[in-house]
Amino acid sequence: MTETLLDIAMMHSDTLLARAKEGDQAAQGKLVQLWYKRIYNFGYKFFMDHDMAMEVSQKTFISMCRSLPSLQDNARFKSWLYKIAVNYCREEARKRKGNRSLSFDVVWNREAEDSPAWETSSQRFDNPERQLQQTELSDVLQQALHELNVEQREVVIMKEYEGLKFREIAEVLNISENTVKSRMYYGLDGLRKILERKNINKDTIGYEL
Amino acid sequence: MSYKPSEQDLMAYLYGELEDDKREKLEQYLLENPTARGELEKMSGLRRMLAQVEDKEVIAPPIFVGEHPSQRFWQAPYMKTIMGIAASLLMVILVAKFSGLSIRYQQQELRISFGDVPEVKTVSPVTQPAVATLTPEQVQDMINQSLQQNNATLQASLDETQKKLNASINQSLALNSDKIDKLVQQASTASEAQVREFVASMQTENAKMVKSYFQLSANEQKQYVEGLLVDFAKYLQQQRNDDLQVVRTQINSLQQNNDVFRKETEQILTSIISKVNTRSSVGLAN
Repeated sequence: MTETLLDIAMMHSDTLLARAKEGDQAAQGKLVQLWYKRIYNFGYKFFMDHDMAMEVSQKTFISMCRSLPSLQDNARFKSWLYKIAVNYCREEARKRKGNRSLSFDVVWNREAEDSPAWETSSQRFDNPERQLQQTELSDVLQQALHELNVEQREVVIMKEYEGLKFREIAEVLNISENTVKSRMYYGLDGLRKILERKNINKDTIGYEL
Repeated sequence: MSYKPSEQDLMAYLYGELEDDKREKLEQYLLENPTARGELEKMSGLRRMLAQVEDKEVIAPPIFVGEHPSQRFWQAPYMKTIMGIAASLLMVILVAKFSGLSIRYQQQELRISFGDVPEVKTVSPVTQPAVATLTPEQVQDMINQSLQQNNATLQASLDETQKKLNASINQSLALNSDKIDKLVQQASTASEAQVREFVASMQTENAKMVKSYFQLSANEQKQYVEGLLVDFAKYLQQQRNDDLQVVRTQINSLQQNNDVFRKETEQILTSIISKVNTRSSVGLAN
């Protein structure tokens, strides 16, 4: 969503893609560097779990490097990459549904429940109150996002955080643009209801609009 | 104008992806419909809130792609194993060379030696002393004979033990059956008499129990009824006494009333009489 001009320039430079397609490992590495943060954050918002996000991103980029030569249209690289990521996310979600397990952090990290989150954050010295507020709000929002169903969640993440166009999301998910838009509508609607239920609105949180 | 934007159009407008002509229509609609405008405003408020979630910083780990077409053949994983085996074979050969290992196989014997090959005298096979030679048929016969003997003795001993066993079993059976018969008979007769006795005793006991129970309950009932009757009689007596008292008091009061009345009438009569007397005396006087 927030690439620098340089990133955008690199992303759109056909030469990088073309070189990566020919098997230039340096070019492939650059592509991974460029896109890793995006795919990781997509995975993180999808699962709310660092390990899962890392796993999905690694699988995505390994798959990307392998099947780059089969990419027909360089202009569609972005949606092509997200398509791989979405498929891995769905696969992992299916796997995880089978064996429900608790992370050790959840089971054993008892002290963490009592201590405020900012104590563990690295930036705790710059305005702790603001920091805590930010972390909490961010967590609450991501939790709400996680309560959406998978179809709406992936659309909302791709649109809101990854900045894909509706047309691109339709390409990624292999559905019609109108379906994407209505999933987005119901996703936002659902989020609003979830946040209302949690009693979160612009009055209860102190952020400046 | 009955234009109403679809959810899809609203979403496209919210994210600025609506075509120009549709957008104008929708903006017009929003101007006329404050509720729809409020709805959209809420959605964009939600979007602003969602934007508070910041990306997590992450460092891309190196990605290794295993299968690469331009891989040299010695980079293949199985090459390592092959090279390893070859190297160890070479080592073995070298060690053997330097330690002067020699392995020979001649005249049906294997010799492994280090250094110079020692001269080993070939030992001629020791000739066996001549034994009374037996033909295979004779041997066979002997074996057969001994086998038959063995079988016969075995059979005999088996038969004998079988017989003994049978005899002892029969004896013990004969002995025991008498005893058991007697026992059973005893038991049956005894038990019949006992059962009868037992039943009779049970019956008498039961009869006693029932009788005593009835007696007891009859007594209790009698006592109870008696008590009841006594109580009732007492109650009746009491009632009658009360009634009598009431009647008596009433009669008393009646009598008193009568007395009072009589006195009053007497007084009235005397007064009338005195009045009449005085008047007549006055009349007379007049």
